[in-house]
Amino acid sequence: MDAWRGRLLQFLFPVETDRWLTVLRLGLGLQVILYSLSLLNDWNYLFAATGKGLITRNFAEALLSLESRFVPRLGWIVALGAHVGLGEGTVLSAAWICLLAVGCGLVAGLFCRCSAILAWFLHLCAAKSGAFVSYGVDNFMTIGLFYLMLSPLPDRYSLDWRLRKSRPKDPQVLGFWRRVVQLHLCVIYFFSGLTKCLGSGWWDGTNIWRALTRPPFNIIPPEILVGWKYFLPVLGISICLIETGYPVFIWLKKTRMIWLICVLGMHIAIGLTMGMYLFALIMIVLNVAAFGPDFGITEIKGYVGGRKSVPVLARH
Amino acid sequence: MGRGQTIFPSSFDSVSQKTEKATAAAFSQHLPASNPFRQTLTTYLYLAGIETSYGYFAPNVSGSYNLVFELHYPDGRVGYEWPRVNSAAAGLRIAGLLDEIGRTHSDGFREYMVKMVASSIWHEHPEVKTMRAILGSVILPSLRDFERGKAESYEFLYAYDFSLSDESTEPAK
Repeated sequence: MDAWRGRLLQFLFPVETDRWLTVLRLGLGLQVILYSLSLLNDWNYLFAATGKGLITRNFAEALLSLESRFVPRLGWIVALGAHVGLGEGTVLSAAWICLLAVGCGLVAGLFCRCSAILAWFLHLCAAKSGAFVSYGVDNFMTIGLFYLMLSPLPDRYSLDWRLRKSRPKDPQVLGFWRRVVQLHLCVIYFFSGLTKCLGSGWWDGTNIWRALTRPPFNIIPPEILVGWKYFLPVLGISICLIETGYPVFIWLKKTRMIWLICVLGMHIAIGLTMGMYLFALIMIVLNVAAFGPDFGITEIKGYVGGRKSVPVLARH
Repeated sequence: MGRGQTIFPSSFDSVSQKTEKATAAAFSQHLPASNPFRQTLTTYLYLAGIETSYGYFAPNVSGSYNLVFELHYPDGRVGYEWPRVNSAAAGLRIAGLLDEIGRTHSDGFREYMVKMVASSIWHEHPEVKTMRAILGSVILPSLRDFERGKAESYEFLYAYDFSLSDESTEPAK
């Protein structure tokens, strides 16, 4: 029993450097910046509650309240602004500027913890208030920012570390949070792959054709796709295998790099051929942070948090 | 799986539906929305971004939807408008919204959503007297059909008429 407990703790609390956290912070910072910039001219239109908006934010927030009243939403910030006499448009613009600023803060590594919490909060507000206009990228941004805000920041490449001499309070949980991200990605890919395997269209290339010709993802002219028609079933089956096999082959040393390259290649291809650049970037960031080269799974010499502990960051 | 959209035989549907119910129960979905345990669990799921499933483009890739507004001006002119945004990234979000409107089985929800979009169009064209919203689905040709020269087509789904009194008529189908 003790041996099992020890193994479990070794698995959950591996000795880990903070380089994966640097990748996560930089990547998510860049993601938040690009997310904000991509909505620069549509922010108020998408998230307004009054007639100026595409659909009223109030409806999405009312539905959200039926599920839970404690999930952050833009309505809270707008109500707060109204108390000090600020109009909805001004508050929404201020929220956008704040989101962009905290994205820059994350990239620079300045006030890492505050930036991560604010980025998570503001993005979550936008994603939930704009639930009808959100898609997969918002879920993955929430997931990434949630883990980033809980991870032991700052990392050694941040300005907080170098200029403000700030140090993480719990560096021993670096390995734990990375493990959580790794396991979460395995769950995501497995179920994403499994549901694809159950659809007949992924085995004969039909779904690849449909995904690439379906508006608004139809970037590549169908005339070009026709020339690749014999390759489409191979592509569909490959996606099923890569995703379903992810929880197994990403852990094996011999296949880890191959699988990571395949997954990254898949996301780059999705970004370029379907115009889902933000979605591609967030998935690449999460994968590289979780299983990236040079910050791969370290040899487990001991575990922290249990009876046996090894100084974290010892490799530095 | 419970909706018969997978490669599994239809006899598997009932098993899938039972599994779905058991999963919903595990996530406290059978409890009243005001139940503190359900509230706490739901809040955590939302905060962590794990409240939705991960079946993107699965089990199969569905078609897309189109929403066009026919604007009728007092002088008899007729114009056409549709939800517009300024960037391709925001365009992906509009596509998601149209999917939401097109896929729902609730007539009331669909009408309300269309009415909200209509009101934003009206805001940009205040001089319009009446408006007709036409929701259609885009039928994509299969690869073989495309090679034979078939192009994408549109299937009419619903139409809603709006006037300044903000009353919509029964949808035509």
